[in-house]
Amino acid sequence: MKRSPALVPLLIVAAALVLALGPFVLPPFYVRVGQLMVYSAGLAVAWAILGGFAGYASFGHAAFIGVGAFAAGLVENQFSALAPGLLLALGLAVGGGACAVLSAAVAYPILRLRGTFFSIAMLGVCHVCAEVNNNVDFFQGSMGINFPPLAPASMDPADFFFWLYLAAGTIVMLIAWLIWRSRFGAGLLSIREDEDTARMLGVPTERYKRLAFVISAVLTGLLGVIYAHALGYITTDSVYRDDTNLNLIVFSLLGGMGTLFGPVIGAFLLVFITQVILGRLLDFHLFATGLLLVLLVLGAPGGVLGVVRGWRVRRRAATAPAE
Amino acid sequence: MSLVVQTLADGLVLGGIYALAAVGFSLIFGVLHVINLSHGILVLIGAYLALVTSQALGVDPLLTIPAVMAVLFGAGYAYQRLLIQRAVDRSPLGSMLLTFGVALMLQNIMIWVFSPDMKSITPSYAFASFSVAGITFDAVRVSALAASLVLLLCLALLLKFSPLGRVIRATAQQTLAAQLCGVNVKHVYALTFAVSAAFAGAAGIVIGVILPFSPADEALWTMNAFVVVVLGGVGSPAGALLGGLLLGIVNTLTAQYVGPSFPNVTMFLLLVLLLLVRPNGLLGNAFSASR
Repeated sequence: MKRSPALVPLLIVAAALVLALGPFVLPPFYVRVGQLMVYSAGLAVAWAILGGFAGYASFGHAAFIGVGAFAAGLVENQFSALAPGLLLALGLAVGGGACAVLSAAVAYPILRLRGTFFSIAMLGVCHVCAEVNNNVDFFQGSMGINFPPLAPASMDPADFFFWLYLAAGTIVMLIAWLIWRSRFGAGLLSIREDEDTARMLGVPTERYKRLAFVISAVLTGLLGVIYAHALGYITTDSVYRDDTNLNLIVFSLLGGMGTLFGPVIGAFLLVFITQVILGRLLDFHLFATGLLLVLLVLGAPGGVLGVVRGWRVRRRAATAPAE
Repeated sequence: MSLVVQTLADGLVLGGIYALAAVGFSLIFGVLHVINLSHGILVLIGAYLALVTSQALGVDPLLTIPAVMAVLFGAGYAYQRLLIQRAVDRSPLGSMLLTFGVALMLQNIMIWVFSPDMKSITPSYAFASFSVAGITFDAVRVSALAASLVLLLCLALLLKFSPLGRVIRATAQQTLAAQLCGVNVKHVYALTFAVSAAFAGAAGIVIGVILPFSPADEALWTMNAFVVVVLGGVGSPAGALLGGLLLGIVNTLTAQYVGPSFPNVTMFLLLVLLLLVRPNGLLGNAFSASR
């Protein structure tokens, strides 16, 4: 099956435009669920640029949500006289910049680790950032930071942030697609398959890994800045969350690890399951996530897309001998 | 001066207990190459079992150790045979996520059964203490330390001299060669898991005696075990002891001289730095797989 190269981005933009109609037709509760879905999908794709494409599954990406959000908040509060739009632009620039600096500094040593050791070391990085943020008074982590309201007075903030997340998520998705089809993306996939062989064949693995890490971190940080504005008030605990660290892996695992659309499918599904189907059963969330994880690892390690691919292969195998 | 010595002594006592809590994690990693993220849960199960049985029977919590170890031995064997064995040969991330899923489920069940509140086991001698050369020791902590050192010694002897220990060590060194010599590797994997679950349970009792605990603590004990193993090296009680003592000293020193909320920072910094600088651990056997 051959696709024209422009089809995928057109599909992404079309899907985003359809989703953008959501707030006009959906009741407010579902707009909130939609917000969480789109935000999670954006994060999942940003995570997957490193975790899915290159196979470096980070267990500490909440570090970048937190660093981005706090950097933006600290600077925005110094310039609170600016117009809301400018303020958001400033916040995004500062938050993204902080994540770029942090990730570039961490990338060199930490990307020498592989597999589970990288995952756990990233968890360590996340906890160090969180504890420092919480305990050093300058960062105001335990006291919390207020963010100025962004939404225009004529608009419901829930709708406004839904569209903002959607725009950001679409951009992240397009960036991921650009990487996916580029030489850089092919290099990342070769790192996932066999890093040593890739290196032997002349793929600049170190440079590619570091670049993917920084891109992934910056995109995560930008989404974190928007998230902080949507919350309006953040403390350390509300941005450096271990359940975010976990969910980012589960999204990709559920949708299909190392695919372009898998993380989006996984994020939509998981948020829908936990928020809508299990919405009344808060006591049950941990158990449900754990059970899902166990079933996925044992039953469908390729996720939803893996299952679909399995069906296709089997159907083709079933029809082939008849010809 | 005496404050320094007191801090070091407290650190050593705490470290002995960290070592016991980590030795099972180390064994599983050394033999099965699985990072068992449900290790902290096994520790807590031990603590809760001891709480329930010592209250029901009115006996000293440390006396429940053999019974709790037996229960967890069986549970660990079944857990490995039924669940983990199916993911052992897949990617390391797969088995790690599997154990994490189990940890989440068990944590949720614990919250239902025991409530999310802090619990503690209080033996009759809870507030007794004695002092040697101006340094104070709590009777509880010392008996907990003694229990954990005895258990570590038992495990070391078991691994070194018993037929089971020999088979476990052989499997850890060369799985394929062990298999060729007639070792039933699946059975050995399950036995290893059972042994480390039993020791995790024993550690839980010792921990329960000296510290309050709640279902949310499981992540802390898993991370502690990970740091201890990274510090000391994989698969041996001696490595776990060294790593545990170091972690205990580092924790009490930072709590005393930097600030009570900083042990976590130093612990994770230590973890990241050691993984980078010396991934083999200080005693230096395995963990070469990290590169």
